[in-house]
Parts: sequence; structure tokens; C-alpha cells
Amino acid sequence: MKTLPLILFGIAALGQWAAPLSQIWTHEQTLTQGTLIKLKCSAPDPYDPLRGRYLAVRPAQQEVNVSEDMKLKQGMQVFATLTTGEDGFATITSLSRTPPASGDYIRVRTRYAYESKATIEWPFERFYINEKLAPEADEWFAENIRTDKGITAEVRVLKGRAVLADLSLDGKSFREILKERVK
Amino acid sequence: MNTSHHRWLLEQLPQWERDGLLTADAARTLRERHVVDESQPGLAQIVMGSLGALLIGTGLISVIGYNWDDFSRPVRLLFAFLPLLTTQIVSFRVLQRDDAAAAWVRETAALLQALATGACIALVSQIYNLGGEWPEFLFWWMLLSLPLVWVLRSHAVAIFYLVGIAVWSLDQGYGKPWHDSPLIYPLLLLGLLPYWPGWPPKTQLSLSVRWVMTISAILGLCSAAVFVSARSEGYYSHRDETFIWLWTLIGAGLTLFPLSRAGVAESTGRKPQVVLGSLWLLGYGIAATFQDVSDDILQGAAYALKLPWCWGLLAVLALFVILACLRRRWAVLAIASIALLPLVAIPFTQDPGEHSALLSWLVTLHLSLIGITLIVLEFAGRRGAPRLGAALLCLLIIARMFESELSLLAKGLAFIVIGVAFLAFNLFMSRLHRQKNPPVS
Repeated sequence: MKTLPLILFGIAALGQWAAPLSQIWTHEQTLTQGTLIKLKCSAPDPYDPLRGRYLAVRPAQQEVNVSEDMKLKQGMQVFATLTTGEDGFATITSLSRTPPASGDYIRVRTRYAYESKATIEWPFERFYINEKLAPEADEWFAENIRTDKGITAEVRVLKGRAVLADLSLDGKSFREILKERVK
Repeated sequence: MNTSHHRWLLEQLPQWERDGLLTADAARTLRERHVVDESQPGLAQIVMGSLGALLIGTGLISVIGYNWDDFSRPVRLLFAFLPLLTTQIVSFRVLQRDDAAAAWVRETAALLQALATGACIALVSQIYNLGGEWPEFLFWWMLLSLPLVWVLRSHAVAIFYLVGIAVWSLDQGYGKPWHDSPLIYPLLLLGLLPYWPGWPPKTQLSLSVRWVMTISAILGLCSAAVFVSARSEGYYSHRDETFIWLWTLIGAGLTLFPLSRAGVAESTGRKPQVVLGSLWLLGYGIAATFQDVSDDILQGAAYALKLPWCWGLLAVLALFVILACLRRRWAVLAIASIALLPLVAIPFTQDPGEHSALLSWLVTLHLSLIGITLIVLEFAGRRGAPRLGAALLCLLIIARMFESELSLLAKGLAFIVIGVAFLAFNLFMSRLHRQKNPPVS
């Protein structure tokens, strides 16, 4: 048996484990140690051929006021400071090129920057759901899109990373609502 | 001759010996000369093994797509890693058996492991609701699958990788940094180099891998050409005339891709890079005989010469030209040189934006010479391609007639005359061929 192919195979096999494991490690840390913030959002229902059905989560806030001397460009990575309001929902109050010294913040990318405003790309956009529940989610979304309650994204935030933990409506988990409707 | 030809010949030898067509010595010599390397998998084996692995792999991905959210996170993660571990163990066993493992088993194990890797990453990103678009996912999947091509020498995973990197390159549009753009396609393609141990390569690539590799290289390199031709003036758009000329340089590079002596001696049908590159170059040449098109090409070439990527491409092309000269590949050199004609015309054109008939005439002259040479070579007792030469001349005349300001009646009559001349030439060549090779009665 030749040694070099075996060594290469070992490295490849380790790499195939390391890539998903590193993702698991960072996201588990964020989920267990991160601060829970809530965001108002909308969520239509598309499909990914490899990962199945998901709700395309789109937080309501897409624009942030910035000072013109920040000179932001498209696709630039910046840090967004999150502030929770009296209604319990968090909003981005400022953008900075370096991580803020205190408070909760996440890394985002700028989409467009013009004058004193910048549109941003949130670091989460998908909430995967069971294929059986997906049509129900579609129907439910069509029925509730015009209500005032709105969908809430529950996000865990730690050291600039954000993991979408759950979606809820009126304090109730989205998955639970759908499961009840399917019954 | 490919493996199936050798195999067919070996199968006929006993019967030919019995019929007295061959002596035992002659048969032995033929057996020694046409050895079939049984370690190389046959096409049927690859197809069957790959199909099985593909079905299992896509089934696995579809099962994951269902999203089993009734199970806890650790259980779902176990679902992600179990298939990966299983396929890794199978591949390890195949590696341990080395040459004793059947070729189709090696192919199947490698492809299954590649698909299990993709399924694992997909499931992890599903469980943690990770964002990111599918090309990003595809990129990492291909990188993690690449070593399987080297160690298991899998043709199926090589094809899978070539398709994957081409699709990824096509999707990387403008506005991306260079390290996340089709500019890295050549590096991704070079990643396959350890697939051929030793230089010059000890084993030849199968025809299917050659075709997929050529098409992948065309898509990847042409995407890079489009990427470098982007202009940003508040919004993104492309300079079409620039990337069309860069595509033509890529076509020339493919046509002139260095070959060993054995590679040069192979039939053109087994060299997809020559077939596809030449077709593009001849099509481009015919189009460039039109004055409007040649004006656009001149503008495009003048802008392209300001791009470092274009100079890199020209440097590679210069190297390929030298190597082709050393191998005396005059025919492909003649065709590939069409791509460089704008470089001859630019110094004589004051402003590339101006109307100039120079390039149009240069290309017309060049293509005519190629057509005539292909015919004359045949009659001079050298290896030519008279029918191709005649077809090229016909196309050239038709293109010129379209642009001329002759009446419809004159054009129609000219087309009839050309058609009759072409058919007569074809008939003449058939008779000549029959005279040289009389049928065996």
C-alpha cells in the first residue's frame, strides 16, 4: 500500500470533517452564549435545491444612517451596533469600521451607500423548515402578511456573529404554529 | 486507437490465426503492440458505478432536504456525519486494496464520498439556518472533493469537479473581489494536475474527461474574460467587444495547447480543444470579414490591451506558439494566428473607433490563404484537408457577397455558381479518392 495517497486521503478526510465541524463550533457557541435579540421581519417561502424549503427572512430595517466621512463601498464589511427599544425589538443604530467597544453588534455587508444612508445585507437570510410544513407556511404567510403583529426573528448574537434561532408570531414559535395548523 | 479498438482487435486475432490470415508470430507482435490496460475502467463501468453513486447521493440530499425537525439537533448532526464516515471507511478500504480493487468500485467509492461530503455541509447549514448562496456552497464542496480525484484517481469525481468549477465560475458576476471571481478558475483547474502522475503524463485521459475538461476550461476562462471586461460607471456593464476578442485569444490558446508527440499524432476527433477552438476561430474569422464587426473588434482589442489579464493571456499564448512551432503544428498555428490579426492592424489605425477596412481585409486574406493551402497541400502529396479548405472559401465568398452592394439577382446567381462549383469539387475529390484507393473486389 502506497503511503502518499494514504496521507493525502487522511488530510482530505480530516478536511471534510473540519469544514462542517468548525461551522458547528462557532454557531453552537453563539446559540448557547449569545445575547437574544428580536427583529421585526417578513418571511416569504422559497426553495433551495440542495438544502430544501426555507423561509427567506428579511428584517424590516434595511437602511442605516451613516456619516458621509465613513466612505462606504458596496460589499464592504462593517460592524452594526444593535440597540433594543422599549417595544423589545432591536434596531441597528450605527455602523462602524471596527468592532464597538461595548454592547451587542453584528458583522454586516453594505449593499449600497449613498449620501448619509447605507443599505445593508444581514448575515442571516434563511430559516429552514420541514418540507411537509412548507405549503402551510406559504398559506399562513399569505393570510397574515397584512396583520399588524408581524413576524419576529429571534437571533443570538456573540462577538459579531449572528445565528437565527427561531421565528415567532405574537410570542409563539413559528414551527409550533404551523404544526398546530397541520394537525 | 482507443481502448475499445485495441480490445476489438485482440478479440479478432484467434479467428484470424485460424483462418490463416495471420501467422502466430504476427499475432504475438500485434498482442504486444495493442496491450489493453485493464486497470483503466471502461466507459460502461464508470457510467454504471457513477449512476449508482449519484442516485444514492442525490437520494441522501433529498432526504436531508425534507428537514427532519422532529429530531433534536445532535441527532440530525449524526445523520449528517454518518454517511460521510461510512463512505470514508469504504474509500479507505479501496485505497488499502490498491490495484486489487476493481476500477468501478474505486469510482463508486470516490463519487459516493464526494456526494456525502456535500450532503454533510448541506445538512449542517440547514440545521443552523446558515445563509449564503449555492455557488458559495458549491465552491467549498468542490474543494473538499478534489483530493479524492488525486488519491482514488476517479474519473467520475474529476468530471464532477470540472462541471462544478465551471458552474461556479459562470455564476460569479461582477462586483466581487478577485479572489472570489472567475479569475481563480485557472488555479482551480490546475488543482487537477496531481491527477496525472509524472511529466510527461504516464496515462492518457479518457475521451469523456477530455471533452468535459475542454468545455469546463472554455466556460471558466470565458467567464474570467467577461469579469475583467466589466466597467463600473455607477452601475456595472460589460464591454462586449473586449471580451469577444479575449474569448478568441482563449480559443487560440486551446487550439495551440501543448501536446506530446503521441498527442499530435492522434486524430483530431480525440482533441476536443483543437476541434472547439478551431471552430470558434474560424467562425470569428468569418464574422471579422464584415467591416462593422472588425471595427468593434479593433475597439475591443485596443481596450483589452490595457488589461493586465490580457497581457497574461498573451504571454501564455506566446509560449504555446513557441511549443507548437517546435512540434511543427503548422495547421493549428495558421488557424490560431487569426486571433492575433487585430494586433497587426492596431498600429496602422489612428483611432480604433474610426472606420477602417484594414482588419476586415487582413482576415479575408488570411482565411483565403488557409483555404487555398488546405487544398494545395493535398495535391502536393502532403496531408491536407481539401474539403474543409473548399468549404472555408465558400463561406468566405458568401460572407463577402452579403456585404457587397450587388443586386439581389447578381447575388443569387453568384450563390448558384458557388454552390455548383462546391458540388463539382466534392465530386472531383470523391473520384480522386477512389482512384487512389480502389475498392477491394
